[in-house]
Amino acid sequence: MTPATASASASATASASEDRDRAPQNVPWYVWCSVAAVTFAMVGVHWDISWHRSIGRDTFWTPAHIAIHLCGVLAGISCGYLVLSTTFNPRSLLRDCSVWIWGFRGPLGAFIAAWGGIAMITSAPFDNWWHDAYGLDVKILSPPHMVLALGIFAVHAGALILILGQMNRATGALQERLQKMFLYVGGMTLVLLTVLQMEITSRILMHTAHFYYLVALVAPPVLAGVARASRFKWAATTVAGVYCGFVFLMGRILTLFPAEPKLGPVYHQVTQFTPPEFPLLLIVPALALDLIWRRTARWGTARQALVSGTVFLSVFAAVQWPFADFLASPEARNWLFGTKYFGYYVAQGSLMARFGFVGAEQGSAFWREAALALVAAICTSWLGLSWGNWMQRIRR
Amino acid sequence: MKLLAVCFVIAALPVHGHVGSPDVFFEGNAGPYRLLITIRPPQVVPGVAEIEIRSASPDVRQIHIVPLRLGFKGAQFAPVPDVAQPSHEDPQFYTGALWLMATGSWQVRVDVDGAQGPGRISVPVPALATRVAGMQKAMAAILLPLALVLCFGLVSIAGAAVRDAMLDPGKRPDPARVRRARIVMAVTAVLVAVGLWFGNSWWNLEAGFYSRIIFKPLQLKASVDGGRLVLQLEDPGWLNRRTDDLLPDHNHLMHLYVIHVPEMDLVWHLHPERGADANFEQRLPPMPAGRYALYGDVVHANGLAETASGEIELPPTAGSPLIGDDAAGTGPPVANADYTRTSSPLARGYRMVWVRGEGKLRARQPYEFRFRLEDGQGKPADNVQLYMGMLGHAAFVSADRSVFAHVHPSGSVPMPAIELAQPENPHAGMAMQSGLPAEASFPYGFPKSGAYRIFVQMKRAGEIVTGVFDAQVEP
Repeated sequence: MTPATASASASATASASEDRDRAPQNVPWYVWCSVAAVTFAMVGVHWDISWHRSIGRDTFWTPAHIAIHLCGVLAGISCGYLVLSTTFNPRSLLRDCSVWIWGFRGPLGAFIAAWGGIAMITSAPFDNWWHDAYGLDVKILSPPHMVLALGIFAVHAGALILILGQMNRATGALQERLQKMFLYVGGMTLVLLTVLQMEITSRILMHTAHFYYLVALVAPPVLAGVARASRFKWAATTVAGVYCGFVFLMGRILTLFPAEPKLGPVYHQVTQFTPPEFPLLLIVPALALDLIWRRTARWGTARQALVSGTVFLSVFAAVQWPFADFLASPEARNWLFGTKYFGYYVAQGSLMARFGFVGAEQGSAFWREAALALVAAICTSWLGLSWGNWMQRIRR
Repeated sequence: MKLLAVCFVIAALPVHGHVGSPDVFFEGNAGPYRLLITIRPPQVVPGVAEIEIRSASPDVRQIHIVPLRLGFKGAQFAPVPDVAQPSHEDPQFYTGALWLMATGSWQVRVDVDGAQGPGRISVPVPALATRVAGMQKAMAAILLPLALVLCFGLVSIAGAAVRDAMLDPGKRPDPARVRRARIVMAVTAVLVAVGLWFGNSWWNLEAGFYSRIIFKPLQLKASVDGGRLVLQLEDPGWLNRRTDDLLPDHNHLMHLYVIHVPEMDLVWHLHPERGADANFEQRLPPMPAGRYALYGDVVHANGLAETASGEIELPPTAGSPLIGDDAAGTGPPVANADYTRTSSPLARGYRMVWVRGEGKLRARQPYEFRFRLEDGQGKPADNVQLYMGMLGHAAFVSADRSVFAHVHPSGSVPMPAIELAQPENPHAGMAMQSGLPAEASFPYGFPKSGAYRIFVQMKRAGEIVTGVFDAQVEP
């Protein structure tokens, strides 16, 4: 709200101090912008990957690319405006609860998200040059794509911090609304990190210990960090639920739209957008973590991490390993579970097309990798809990 | 006495199927429609190939183009074809772009629809990475400042997170908090440096992977043993290429051009046979001492053509008379090239005439190079015969020898590749035996400007004749 009735003779200082005393009653516009930005990014990323699996050929101006870069533009412009208005408007409500960087003032989350927007913008010419130099890469894990991913991750992290700064100062209904938005963005952060691993955590790898190591690197820190910072008792379950719901819905919606390969060689006839694989069953270990954390609230972070990592990995392996068997079975080759869909480039004789598995590591190699996964789960749980502890104290 | 001469492979000239001339030129019939097709393959793979099609028929309504793997074992489906776009200025000229997603042998299938019904033709095209682009200064000028902003920005954000972010509204950081922030900034700076180092290592790794797919042509290691030229195909190591999978082209596994350098006044078109030890051997014809450039055209089982090249220093060779499809030609030294000359004298009063018109030759433009055999009275020669299934064979060689292309009247694609791409048409690209004209045309475009020598070979009355011409190509 602006002090429209303030008379010209009123001193700016008095007016500003009045404004500062007035806490916002609604979710601020820039929080909505950041939530929209992360949603655009994740819709765009899944759409783009599906585009490459079903149509293949694209330009910079595909709707999927526009959705991705809308994230950067929205985050960059909204957070840039927020920083500039906080810096140069002496009556800004955020002036007293902002951080200071390079002479500019603004919420910490705004700086992080703006950094993400710049990284995303940087990735565009870098990726374009990469294509010129090394060919049109069609893989997720490449240096320019990682710059883009870093940017998107920063927009997510910025959104989390931006919401948290407000949430930790708010009370009542506003705090509850911000808490829901915080959990939603946390879920989208999990979506982002799992999509980065999409190529190396596909169905055919779910019977290797390495698969569980890779998942243990990304899921526990998000679940633990967001849960700890949100103070909500079912936070991990909610975050994993957002992840599962989003990936499931994207998969089901994408298959409704027709698509045909425009690149060869074509080994699978494709007539619709190819969906992402069925989401990982992270919701089960997340539920276990929420239950565990209710009983270990008074424990130290290290002890909690030890239990959390162990519980996460054992519960996740216990549900995902047999679920992978189900996904490989004829019963999963339908619209719901989506294993009947393939990218056009998947060779007919490949393990994926034959619903097979990469064999588990043999003997001691398996247990070595499993131990590594356990250590990773414990370490990333500790990181997540520490990150959550820090986020609890965010005020700006 | 056994003559043993040491050979010297001086340099292998880079670039594939032909040398320094990557574009594909093809002229043929898609059903009732005569087409001249130019395909400019990408220099990086995956990459985009540019397609240009000129229809000789005005009644073409629409042209579709689609890329398919050539020589691929296994089921594959065609992607959705692209519609080639007609030019506004010239409605018989169509263009398109196709993505070639994997290294190796491909074909572009062209489907024509017109007043005379549908027609189809497939043109082989290699997809070979030939370069790694460096970063342009302008691009570096954009990316470097952005990278610096990102790096320093990250350090500053980390400092602000510790110094200010946890303070209640209105409070200022105490000295201890400021000190802690500085420590965190220092640690973040180290982490950023580690991240940059990791990123650079990853970049180098990716560049290393890519450099392995960059095409490395076969090299010809040549030696002379008892009057025989012995050629060994040396593989510098490129993917899973083999040298024992060659397909015969006009009944020969290798077509070898031997050119006296630097004068380019003597040329031989020879056909070495493969011996039991996998080397190629050729009885040498009479040759003066000197240095010779060698260009050996071979075709792999998947239709991928390449030119193995090398050089050899030879002593005077008494040699044996040419037999079979082997042929030789002479011309003035290239240093004395006359770029306006359109007639090349032949034996018995015959001559070969380049019907070239008045216009300047431009680089990267497709042309129909037309050559006519004439008798002493200037009339078209009679009794013209096929030379290895073709009205003629032409070699376009740049004076600096960075370009070599062996071209047929059907274009720059070798016959085995055409047969793979058009299995339903075993005579594709070949001329019929009866009623042969005295004129042969070759679709080709020079890849770059400069001086070129053109060797054209035709056959009449059982004799293979060689015309030698020169061309100055403008940018």
